Amino acid sequence: MIYIENIYICLAAPLFLAILCLRRDGRRSLIFVLAGMSACLLSAYVSTYLAGAAGIDQATASYEISPAVEEIMKSLPLLFFILVFEPERRFVRSGTLLVAVGFATFENVCFLTSYGTSDLLSLVIRGFGTGAMHVVCGMIVSIGLFYLWDRIWLRVVGTFALLCFVTTFHAVFNIFVSQTGVIFWIGSLIPLSAVLVYLLFFRGRTAKP
Amino acid sequence: MIEVVENALQIAVLVICSVIAVYKAVHYNSRTWALAAFFFISWVMGDIYWLVCLLFYDTTPQISIVSDLSWYASYMFLYLMLLRTSKPDPGSTKQALPWLGPLFAAGMAVFFMLKGEILNNLIYGSLMGLLLFSSINRLINRTTDRNQRFLPAMILVFCLLEYGLWISSCFWTSDTLANPYYWFDVLLTVSFLFFLPAIRKAVSA
Repeated sequence: MIYIENIYICLAAPLFLAILCLRRDGRRSLIFVLAGMSACLLSAYVSTYLAGAAGIDQATASYEISPAVEEIMKSLPLLFFILVFEPERRFVRSGTLLVAVGFATFENVCFLTSYGTSDLLSLVIRGFGTGAMHVVCGMIVSIGLFYLWDRIWLRVVGTFALLCFVTTFHAVFNIFVSQTGVIFWIGSLIPLSAVLVYLLFFRGRTAKP
Repeated sequence: MIEVVENALQIAVLVICSVIAVYKAVHYNSRTWALAAFFFISWVMGDIYWLVCLLFYDTTPQISIVSDLSWYASYMFLYLMLLRTSKPDPGSTKQALPWLGPLFAAGMAVFFMLKGEILNNLIYGSLMGLLLFSSINRLINRTTDRNQRFLPAMILVFCLLEYGLWISSCFWTSDTLANPYYWFDVLLTVSFLFFLPAIRKAVSA
């Protein structure tokens, strides 16, 4: 058993101090990273509670409950940012990615604490795979938030649809990486490939009607 | 075994459709094709999730919420796509015919709720009602030209095939080709291919 709230405090303390010292863009970026880590902590609590309430074990919950909870929790700080501050698009896009990065970082630290740090290759695959998966999910939501729909109610329906979409993507990823051997490799490579495809073909493009 | 083969076939078809839709979305820089891509990819993600649960755990998911979320998303993308390619005609919403869609969906939702889950069937019923209403409304819409009628007609066929699939799953459970569930699922798989020309016509109209 690990005490993730203790890990959280340890990781969040320097970020919190830096947030107090920094100004403007730097401060905003670190707030997003901290929000991502906080979302990860809360997701762990909510997922554990729901798994207990549904009477399923943690392994099953990792692909049947956690993906939905994690994606919803990750979207909450962004929705708050969008609804309260009405920011420019570029801030939302970078915010989405930074929340995803904070989330993935905290999740990886918890993973390291639980499973140790001896197998470098697996950890490299895990680091890139999980990181890429959260970044891909963040990118999909941010693309949908600002580029696919122009009317507010379309944005609401579309964002919900995208959340459903990324939840399934996340769940499929979790199933693949819970296996061993080739399946684990394939699972880890899927989001990495998606990031590469995005960087090669989609970066800088926006859709028109 | 038939379920695995049939799921794999549907995934293969959907992957082809997804690749084409993504290519068109990027090539023409089109939001409609982007929505189509999300529709196909969302559906295939639900299928993949279902299939990997069958393959790796030898069982369907205990809580089917993840696949269902994916299929809800597909319906929503389909609805958004239909809206994006529609021309407004305020007069047509006053007609009675489109309301047959939600009425049918409500009746079927009650039927399925008596046999299974309540919330899930309520959500499916609402989304289906919305799709049926919008597609019938657009088919009878006076401002809709011939090319624009293909997509709502395709959506109507798609919804009816879905209902055929669901109804057959209530009465036939055998894992053989004699089960109508598989016939409807194959027809549904084929219908995905027909979405491509329908979307192309709707975009070009």
